[in-house]
Amino acid sequence: MPWSRRWWLFVPVLGVIELMAHFVFARRAPRPEDWPKARAPLVELRKDRELVVVAPHWAEPLARQAFGEELMPLQDVARADETSYARAIEVSVLGQSASELSGWRAVSERREGAFRFRLLENPHAANVRFDFVDGLVPERVVVRETAAEELRECRYTPNARVSTGSLPGPPTFPARRFACASGEPYFVGVTIIDDPEYRPRRCIWAHPTPGGPLRIQFSEVPLGRVIRGHAGLPWLIMRDGHGVPIELDVRVDGQSIGTLVHHDQDGWHLFEFPTGAEGRTATVEFEVRASDVRERHFCFQADTR
Amino acid sequence: MMRAYRALRRRAVHPKGGSRDRDWVDPAIALGLVVGYVALLLSTVHDLGYARDEGFYFQAARSYEGWFELLFTHPDQAFTRAAVDRYWSANHEHPALMKALFALSHRFLHEKWRLFAEAGTSYRFPGMLISALGVGVTYLWARRLASRLAALVGGVSLAMMPQVFHHAHLACFDMPVAAMWLITSYAYHRALETGGVRWPLASGVLYGLLLDTKHNAWLFPPVLVAHLFLTRSRPLFTGTLRGRIAVPSALLSVAIVGPLVFYACWPWIWYDTGRRIAEWIAFHTGHEYYNMEFLGRTYWKPPMPLGYAWVMTLATVPLTTLALSAIGFGHDLVGAVRARELRTRSAPVFWTVSIFVSYAPWLSTKTPIFGGTKHWLTAYPFLCLFAAVGFERVACAVREELQRRFGHQPLRTALVEIAAALCVVVAPVAIALGAHPWGLAAYTPLVGGASGAATLGLNRTFWGYTTGAVQDFLNQRAPPRAAVYVHDTAMQSWEMMQADGRLRSDLRGTMNIHDSDFALYHHEPHMGRVEYQIWVAYGTSTPAHIGTYDGVPVVWVYERPRPR
Repeated sequence: MPWSRRWWLFVPVLGVIELMAHFVFARRAPRPEDWPKARAPLVELRKDRELVVVAPHWAEPLARQAFGEELMPLQDVARADETSYARAIEVSVLGQSASELSGWRAVSERREGAFRFRLLENPHAANVRFDFVDGLVPERVVVRETAAEELRECRYTPNARVSTGSLPGPPTFPARRFACASGEPYFVGVTIIDDPEYRPRRCIWAHPTPGGPLRIQFSEVPLGRVIRGHAGLPWLIMRDGHGVPIELDVRVDGQSIGTLVHHDQDGWHLFEFPTGAEGRTATVEFEVRASDVRERHFCFQADTR
Repeated sequence: MMRAYRALRRRAVHPKGGSRDRDWVDPAIALGLVVGYVALLLSTVHDLGYARDEGFYFQAARSYEGWFELLFTHPDQAFTRAAVDRYWSANHEHPALMKALFALSHRFLHEKWRLFAEAGTSYRFPGMLISALGVGVTYLWARRLASRLAALVGGVSLAMMPQVFHHAHLACFDMPVAAMWLITSYAYHRALETGGVRWPLASGVLYGLLLDTKHNAWLFPPVLVAHLFLTRSRPLFTGTLRGRIAVPSALLSVAIVGPLVFYACWPWIWYDTGRRIAEWIAFHTGHEYYNMEFLGRTYWKPPMPLGYAWVMTLATVPLTTLALSAIGFGHDLVGAVRARELRTRSAPVFWTVSIFVSYAPWLSTKTPIFGGTKHWLTAYPFLCLFAAVGFERVACAVREELQRRFGHQPLRTALVEIAAALCVVVAPVAIALGAHPWGLAAYTPLVGGASGAATLGLNRTFWGYTTGAVQDFLNQRAPPRAAVYVHDTAMQSWEMMQADGRLRSDLRGTMNIHDSDFALYHHEPHMGRVEYQIWVAYGTSTPAHIGTYDGVPVVWVYERPRPR
């Protein structure tokens, strides 16, 4: 029988294939109750606070639920980038790999059921001497705003009223903050913004203040070769923004080592300035300023390495 | 069984109405489809939460119900401008038909006669009924060109298209406008076939109701005009030369009766008509762009991706249905074009133009995509009509082949044809029912199902209806009077879930994360910032509960850690 006469077979066969394929695809991803089974192997592998990365990325909420803050702390989940991690453990399903770890060297691989665990080494891991986001504590930091041409301290409080903006508003204003007298949103505290890919970025909220520059001073910082970081504004709110540029001036012991000029469209903007003082301990100051402070929801993270 | 088979396989009714069949059989089958589909929708409604827009329409319907109350008690007051403005201003950016039906259904079927225990279901019922009528009319129209078995394939293919199945549950306008477009088209085409008064008049009335359903109706007249030129260009041309323009009476009815019915059925435009209609048009032609994820990128302003409509159709309509549609289109329309016999293929030409017009807006990069597949639902009934014709070709080929191989063996042929019909509908049924109540997260095996679609970066949900999937967790876990941040669920939808007893009445819905004890999160990439706000406010990034479809997270809940 010539195939041209049998063309009609194609359709019911296609129907059966589609049905079978539906059931195959419907069952291939692990269910929520499967994810806790991946915890024990991960605990075994994780010896030195390695970064845990999930592939595909859409499965990460399931991993966070199963593994908890102990294995996936917020600092890791909302990290600036992967450069400061010497090692990472990729937990993957469905044969996926984490693109952010491409180029890392696979040290070991293990499979448990639907899960694959790969221990990966960063070939260019940075040696971070000091993290300014983690170091934003009252024992080390002084924050001042400019008011009537004078510097006025923004006092630290651990119990400020938390507020959230939901979808159209600013990120969460945290309880722990250096609150400036100019009122909200003028404070310095750690929060999380969304970057141009809507990923979370933990950073220091530093809204430029209306009276003049905002200064955030860290004392006794063990310096590395560079001060490196990122800066941005919450992407969903500012992606069409045409606000004035924001300047972030970085100073070591009073001397400027570089100025970042950030525009709304710059996204999660990388900067790196040589300290010229590697190995020393110094005072590092970040000065934030803008010619018009309206809706300048500026947030930055930095470390010295 | 052979009698049933012969009844199913009866050849298509003669286009001019002559038939060897009893007149009641096909209407009875169509009615059976309608009743069966409504029953299926009602049986699957209880774990489908209320979508965001449903909340707005509940509120509008309650307002319109006040007007109906006034109409029944003080009719002279009901028609005053003050009364019309007071009751019909709610949600006047959309016309009134469906919301008025929601209101009447709620008033009579829930409040008065208690046919529905849930107020929300009573609001949803008119949408379900009209959607089911669309399924029935698909059968009837397909039946005019194909056997009963093929027409059934067409009807079931529409009913069980996963996204059609989802939208058919909702107290919204998207499936109703698709059904009304189809029903109006059917009446119009019957008018072209038979002439007379009944069908042309029905065409005009139905077009008025279509206009009163949703603004997709603006695209309907171009379909009629294009169809006219494609199938009757020569008689139109020669008639014009002779000073006689033979415009079908149905077209005149659509043009004249339609707007009159539209006006009559939308009280808001009884006053200040010109300005209010202009406002309605301006709202939709200048609609704000919302966010939509497509292939891993979130679009919020033009240029929108030109491939959106086509890719999403391939990703969400079962491939078997599309294949049948392609066969039907290729056989009926392409053959007619080759033979220059478009006039004799009037119905397939109409279906083709309807499909094209439904998709045409997405030939522009300025057309919004935020509504996903519901934007072109009006095309789907016509795809399924072609699918019915396509299956008829398959069935013919089956008969010919079996006749050639085995001679006249009606029982064997019957079984093979029925088996083939089951083969082409079983995948749509499995996908649609398996995806419920996740609806918009339903993707076909062509893209790897839900997990494949998530990896590709296709939208999983919007409108906040998936709160229904986590209602049990909230009811069991939340302490008394807990405040729940509702995220993308409209407060009106949240309140309806409480009124229906789906959510505990003591739970307090809130739009503030910082004052909440539990926080819902309906995932879309651009919504991520809401999740991060929850992390900072609650001090945790560990979800307490996740609602998944085929292993893919769609909605999750955070619980604020309580002091020990």
